[in-house]
Amino acid sequence: MTTQIESKRYPVEDLSHAIEFCYQQGWTDGLPVVPPTERAVQAMLEAAGLEPRQQVAFITNRQVAVTAEKIAINAVMAGCLPEYMPVVVAAIEGIADPKWGYHGPATSTGGAAVLMIVNGPMAARLKFNSGDNLFGPGWRSNATVGRAVRLVMRNVIGTLPGALDRGTVGHPGKYSYVIAENEVESPWAPLHVERGFTPEQSTVTVMSAEGPHQFYNQLSSTAKGVLTSLCEDMKHHGSTNGQPQYCVVLAGEHMRTIANDGWSKKEIQQFVYENTHNSVAHLKRTERLAGALTAADETTMRPLVPSPQDVLVVAAGGRAGAFSCYIPGWAGGKKSSQSITKLIQDRRV
Amino acid sequence: MAMEILDPTVEPRKQPLTFVPRPDSLTGKRIGLVENTKYNSDKILAKIGEILKKEYGAAECTMWRKHNSSVPAHQEIIDEAKRGVDVVVAGIGD
Repeated sequence: MTTQIESKRYPVEDLSHAIEFCYQQGWTDGLPVVPPTERAVQAMLEAAGLEPRQQVAFITNRQVAVTAEKIAINAVMAGCLPEYMPVVVAAIEGIADPKWGYHGPATSTGGAAVLMIVNGPMAARLKFNSGDNLFGPGWRSNATVGRAVRLVMRNVIGTLPGALDRGTVGHPGKYSYVIAENEVESPWAPLHVERGFTPEQSTVTVMSAEGPHQFYNQLSSTAKGVLTSLCEDMKHHGSTNGQPQYCVVLAGEHMRTIANDGWSKKEIQQFVYENTHNSVAHLKRTERLAGALTAADETTMRPLVPSPQDVLVVAAGGRAGAFSCYIPGWAGGKKSSQSITKLIQDRRV
Repeated sequence: MAMEILDPTVEPRKQPLTFVPRPDSLTGKRIGLVENTKYNSDKILAKIGEILKKEYGAAECTMWRKHNSSVPAHQEIIDEAKRGVDVVVAGIGD
């Protein structure tokens, strides 16, 4: 390293005092953090090939420059291994992209979290879970990478719950919300390849998102049957007004059923798009649209998302069980927040 | 064992922020209204505009609509406001 770490230093008595000190300073997400020592932070920076003062992102609304040094400190606190650092960096680049639109999803009463989908060889190398208990606990990379991003949002960008994070109910994904795609068993092109990257590249896709909504279908042995259950639930869920995108996560049994019928991701997207329209009449009757009901409202249809491509399809989840899920994006309208896929870069010389 | 830990936070960048002088009166002034796209924000701003004309003697009102509620007013609005109005009313209609 040619430059030095410049962050303020605090002497503490021992490990347990260090953990309590971090609480007292308001630096944690409510769980204990790993005290960030210089040695641990240096290891994080070296693993990513970044200089401490290097700017990774600039958040315009907050006028905050996010440097590698601050990301590394927060990644240590989250419990990341040094080799996770490039994934955290790519995710921060993603949420700083103007198309992701940091201010809205980070601040809104809508309570979105940052869903992160890891693709490519690095997902397996770093042991990101793409199978059983997909969104659940138990995998260090899934748990700590998302936590690191949230700690950066909190400690560097100022997204403090109750202050500049005003989620009305929020959801547990705000602790960490990271999955990988099951590229080994998936019959389809992985998400990052659909988005123009090569299979050999590794990426992280960030999407401002509500929690996962699970759906069940154990009866059908056809793609159409499984996806009909999905669409029925999707089009009537609580936030069917202005989501820019949805993510559909198809787990093992459903994935195989759909693949056995020969459906591609494009066909899934098209089917979901076509079968999740609501009539204006329905939206008015359920108090989601204002105005008096007219005869034309019965036949005037509104799509859930602007286009079939706005349904992201990801193969992930356990092999057993007739469950999959859909994840609504943050409800801010088409131009408010788009999912962004960033390359995970190895910057080491 | 004594140890030293690093601060994970940053100090926000400081920048001077000054307000333009407020007008003594709205009489004859041109009013700009910046609507944030949320339900009824256009209605409440239109009502405010009416009140400013009727009760405070403002000359006219122009309303602009932002791209969406989460972003600042875009450059076109800023440019037109600079050219064509004396006072701007903006806020969160929700």
